[in-house]
Amino acid sequence: MGRPEGGRLTGPAATAFPSSPMLEVQGLEKTYGSAAHPVPVLRGISFAVEAGCFCAILGPSGSGKSTLMNLIGLLDRPSAGIVRLAGEIMDPQSPQTAARARNRLIGFVFQSFNLLPRLTAWENVALPLLYRGVPRVERRPLAMDMLDQVGLADHAGRRPAALSGGQQQRVALARALIAQPRLILADEPTGSLDSVTAGEVMGLLRDLNARLGMTVVMVTHDRDLALGCDRRIEMLDGRIVADVVTARTRP
Amino acid sequence: MTLWPFQDTHLPLAESVAEALGNLRANGQRSALALLGILIGAASIVAVLTIGHMAQQETLKMFRHLGVDMLNIHAMPSDAATNGVLDRATIERLPADDPSVLAAAPLLADHDKVTAGRQTESVAIAAVTDALPRLMRLDLRQGRFIRAIDADDPVAVVGARAAAALSAPGAPITPGARIAVRGYVFTVIGVVNPVPFTPLDAFEVDDAVMIPLAQARRSFAAPEPTSALILLRPGTDLAAAGRRISARLANPTATLQLITAREVIRSMNAQKVIHGQLLTAVGAISLLVGGIGVMNVMLMGVMERRREIGLRAAVGATPGDIGLMFLIEAAVLAFVGGIAGLACGLMAALITARLSGWTFGLALWVLPLGPGVATLVGLAFGLYPALKAARLDPIEALRAE
Repeated sequence: MGRPEGGRLTGPAATAFPSSPMLEVQGLEKTYGSAAHPVPVLRGISFAVEAGCFCAILGPSGSGKSTLMNLIGLLDRPSAGIVRLAGEIMDPQSPQTAARARNRLIGFVFQSFNLLPRLTAWENVALPLLYRGVPRVERRPLAMDMLDQVGLADHAGRRPAALSGGQQQRVALARALIAQPRLILADEPTGSLDSVTAGEVMGLLRDLNARLGMTVVMVTHDRDLALGCDRRIEMLDGRIVADVVTARTRP
Repeated sequence: MTLWPFQDTHLPLAESVAEALGNLRANGQRSALALLGILIGAASIVAVLTIGHMAQQETLKMFRHLGVDMLNIHAMPSDAATNGVLDRATIERLPADDPSVLAAAPLLADHDKVTAGRQTESVAIAAVTDALPRLMRLDLRQGRFIRAIDADDPVAVVGARAAAALSAPGAPITPGARIAVRGYVFTVIGVVNPVPFTPLDAFEVDDAVMIPLAQARRSFAAPEPTSALILLRPGTDLAAAGRRISARLANPTATLQLITAREVIRSMNAQKVIHGQLLTAVGAISLLVGGIGVMNVMLMGVMERRREIGLRAAVGATPGDIGLMFLIEAAVLAFVGGIAGLACGLMAALITARLSGWTFGLALWVLPLGPGVATLVGLAFGLYPALKAARLDPIEALRAE
């Protein structure tokens, strides 16, 4: 795997194949339990998300939205169906190729931030580049640049414990963006934040989506949050029950 | 599931080592405990190798001092009724009678109290002849050694430590001083420089008061020599010469015991080998225990850092990256233990050298060996935790508390 191309972020949407969707899932099924007592969690999910779209996946707990996220995020293997990211069909068999694909294509944002406490803010941001083999001296300016984009340039040397929740999530956002992924997967990104900070983080997420043309898929159970998105996919019992495009499609 | 994930990784090694060190520091006490076993193991190995090296140097030194062509014949009583003595005249004729004998010194040694002024010390008392200095390579610090003409005079030559012990302020043991041995007064005529003691010696010169053999009748019940120190021509067949000389000296009072320099050195080496084996066993067991300690610490680390592992996997760490991270940590942990062990091992060797009166010597090839072996142990015992970390399911890892 090579170095990240160039220093500054460019809109990934610009480099994506224009006519094909950024994310496409077809007939996705996931069943837990034994063969004798199968517990179906996803019962055939199909949808496609265009490049640059800010898409919310909405549903109560147990609806299968987290399982869907894990499958899209290549952290889990589907029982049936395929995941296509930026036109590539993902191979769910090898943990190695899945890891490489996550590094190349996906940026994760978690509800609980998941920053490594012993690393400074910039080291946390630069983590995905470590697994690309980018040397430390090259990682640092790239991470500083990303921190600047989320408004935390002057907190680069701090450890997560010295940052507020909102600041931590912004560091996590910078980390998700640094490897220039095609897709941001956000799992309840504001779930651990108070409403004011949550609004700020959402605003930043929307801003990055608008400015960089970054495709975002966000899982949430917060209907108000989902209302502000370009598109809303609602799930219940492992099926899609509603798919509403609420806003303009990005040029 | 990949059996051997480590090939698919491009973690920068230097950085990973630095991070592993940081992690060990963060885990301070726990790391230190795991280090202890590795430390003791590496220390034992370093100590055993260094002590072995020094012992070899000392042996060589002793060879140089003694010469390998030295023979000691000692008369043991053949039964309870006899004393076990050698014939002085036969011993002194040996150089003339046997072409392989260069010199021969009869002697008789015992231990008793000696008094000088108000000082009384228990020392070795040896009745010797003028042949001794050549054989034992004695140098006089003061005065002169016993000569043939001293046979009828109560004179004594004193070893360095004995002289110091018997000296009193204002009454040093120097030529002219008088000392009392078993009720007889002897005049000191010389003091000997310190000489290293070898197991071949019938008595320790430094601790001895030496008197003419002819004067032994004053101080010994049986005033006949019980030992003979014999210097052979270089290259002599020791066994054959020993048999010939034993045959000449054989008498009904004594069973002859033959000690050669070679034998002494061989038995000393055998003893060292046993000590070495013991230390090696201690080292091996410590390393094993240390390795288990490392494995334990690493397994705990893997359990506690599941979330971190999950996060790293999410941002693109392959199982190989994650496995290697833990493997490097185990190796670094063990390496640090190995370095500390090296220091302790050298310290132990230094103390041993001091206590044995050896010169401290260091074999350079020992230096990388202690930390090297420790690191290998760390890698071996770190493998299982590393594989466990590499095989963690990222979803479950992310979900962990």
